[in-house]
Amino acid sequence: MKREKRHEPELALHIEDLTVAYEGKPVLWDIDVNIPPGVMAAVIGPNGAGKSTLIKTALGLVKPTAGHICIHGYPPRQALKRVAYVPQRSSVDWDFPTTVVDVVMMGRYGHLGWFRWPGKREHRRAMDALSAVGMEAFAKRQINQLSGGQQQRVFLARAMVQDADVLFLDEPMAGVDATTEKAVVALLQELRDQGKTIIVVHHDLQTVRDYFDWLVILNVRVVAQGRIPEVYTGENLRKAYGGRIALLDPDSAGETPDAVPREVVN
Amino acid sequence: MLDLLGNHTVQTVIMGAVLLGLVSGLLGSFAVLRQQSLLGDTLAHAALPGVCIGFLIAGTRHLGWIMAGALGTAVIAALFVQVITRYSRIKMDAGLGAALSVSFAVGVVLLTYIQGHSSASQGGLDSFLFGQAAATRPSDLWFMGGVTLAAISLVALLWKQLKLVTFDPLFAGSIGLSVGVLETVLTAMIALAVVVGLQMVGVVLMTAMVIAPPVAARQWVSRLEHMVFLAMLLGVISGVVGVLLSAGVSHLATGPVVVLVASVLVALSLLLAPGRGVLWSWLKLWREQRAIGQRQMLVTLHKLAEHHEDPYYPVERSMLDSFYGVATGHILRRLQARGFVVPASHMREEGPHWALTDAGHNEARQELERMDWNQAEA
Repeated sequence: MKREKRHEPELALHIEDLTVAYEGKPVLWDIDVNIPPGVMAAVIGPNGAGKSTLIKTALGLVKPTAGHICIHGYPPRQALKRVAYVPQRSSVDWDFPTTVVDVVMMGRYGHLGWFRWPGKREHRRAMDALSAVGMEAFAKRQINQLSGGQQQRVFLARAMVQDADVLFLDEPMAGVDATTEKAVVALLQELRDQGKTIIVVHHDLQTVRDYFDWLVILNVRVVAQGRIPEVYTGENLRKAYGGRIALLDPDSAGETPDAVPREVVN
Repeated sequence: MLDLLGNHTVQTVIMGAVLLGLVSGLLGSFAVLRQQSLLGDTLAHAALPGVCIGFLIAGTRHLGWIMAGALGTAVIAALFVQVITRYSRIKMDAGLGAALSVSFAVGVVLLTYIQGHSSASQGGLDSFLFGQAAATRPSDLWFMGGVTLAAISLVALLWKQLKLVTFDPLFAGSIGLSVGVLETVLTAMIALAVVVGLQMVGVVLMTAMVIAPPVAARQWVSRLEHMVFLAMLLGVISGVVGVLLSAGVSHLATGPVVVLVASVLVALSLLLAPGRGVLWSWLKLWREQRAIGQRQMLVTLHKLAEHHEDPYYPVERSMLDSFYGVATGHILRRLQARGFVVPASHMREEGPHWALTDAGHNEARQELERMDWNQAEA
């Protein structure tokens, strides 16, 4: 088999027959996902649907049990410089002794190679990204002085300096203020308009239609995927969330309802 | 004191303490930031069976064999913890605790076996429990120096990678860093540092050398490079001061004194460090309370003046006292010092009066605007 040949290069993200299991239990089971370049895609699904695992596998952080993944035609380990990643804010210790601009410069480490240290150019790139997210005044601050929304902006700035074609974001709107949410969405849409592909694990069903143009509904298997108008239907949401969903628009006959996920005890 | 410094044994022990301080401060910083402070403890206790095995192989108290054995079992314990946390549901703390107690139990069993069976030169092995600094020989310094140099070069070379893996391992993995390899390298280096400290501080107290200097350093500085540097410095200070104290007073065990000095540094740092210290937060709270009192007073005076349609309306202090239910003289005097109020005379038979200045009215108006704005936000 010719390994150099790109597989499905016209897709930003191509996942085929992918199964991922933790301790023998499948978290993702036999899924196919295809996301074209230049869209802003939401990955939604109930808790434990495998949303974060999907992203981590696409980044090469989790080894698939079966199946394969390609990013612009390359397997994840060969596409490192084409992807950027915004992990969940809560996955790091924000009391770590470092400054805002330092964290943003970490986005350039992958391009620097093993032994080169970040210098003036990296600093300038970081400052540009910080002003794009409205945080340039905080560059020299300690990261433990940031609010949740500011932390998220810093993480987004770090992803921006990675110069990637595909951005993966894990719950970037979780626990941030409304102003930050709007700013983050506007920035992501701007990046999409520049031709980048944005893939976001999202939890707020109410905003899916406003923010995104592509949707993957996940619940261990893929429930539905495609452009929002075709995929964001009451039927699909019910399939994914089961009884844990309240559809607010019963009149619209499940075409494009306003839906609110509701955790049901038992 | 000068006599002490001239003494060859003391010189050797001081050099050893300096090297131990450097290496434990350096590697301890990463262990503490990765929230693996207990790793040092586990590695130290796991070194004890290795000490005994080394002794059994060599048949005598041969330091080379003992150190090799210590490093061997420490690394085995570390790998055991890594494997068990990765491939089972056991969490890090439980894994560390299990490895610590099991290996220490094996160590003590071996130790008592040796003491019961080995005929000659069995004495002295239990000095590894609490350390015996005076037994440090000049030749040991080469080993300690080598380990210290290796650790410093490694951290300098891989600074960027170690920093990223410590702060954000997920992101580090996403840009292609081999997180597992870097973590193993760090753990192996910590095991080496622990082995270096065994002879001086002993397995039981070695963890304090790994934890205390970085924890103290973190209180004072807020950049990783400063923290590592300061932790090394504090490690050296605890080592040298501890050695001198124990050498100056007869019959004091060096290791525990070194650990106590390090603990005093931690206590002082927790109490005094600007920004993070306990005293500092009290001071800040007290200042804020004072500022709130002053702001309230300004607004009250402003409203009273508005109500009386006289911007320089003099308010009697006893009235303010009864309104607030506390003596307000000190608040008014502080506002006077800031130029916001002036004492005003009114009628001779009444008490002291105060009136707002123009600056005071301005400040009060700004305060009111801030309040409106806060309400609008809410």
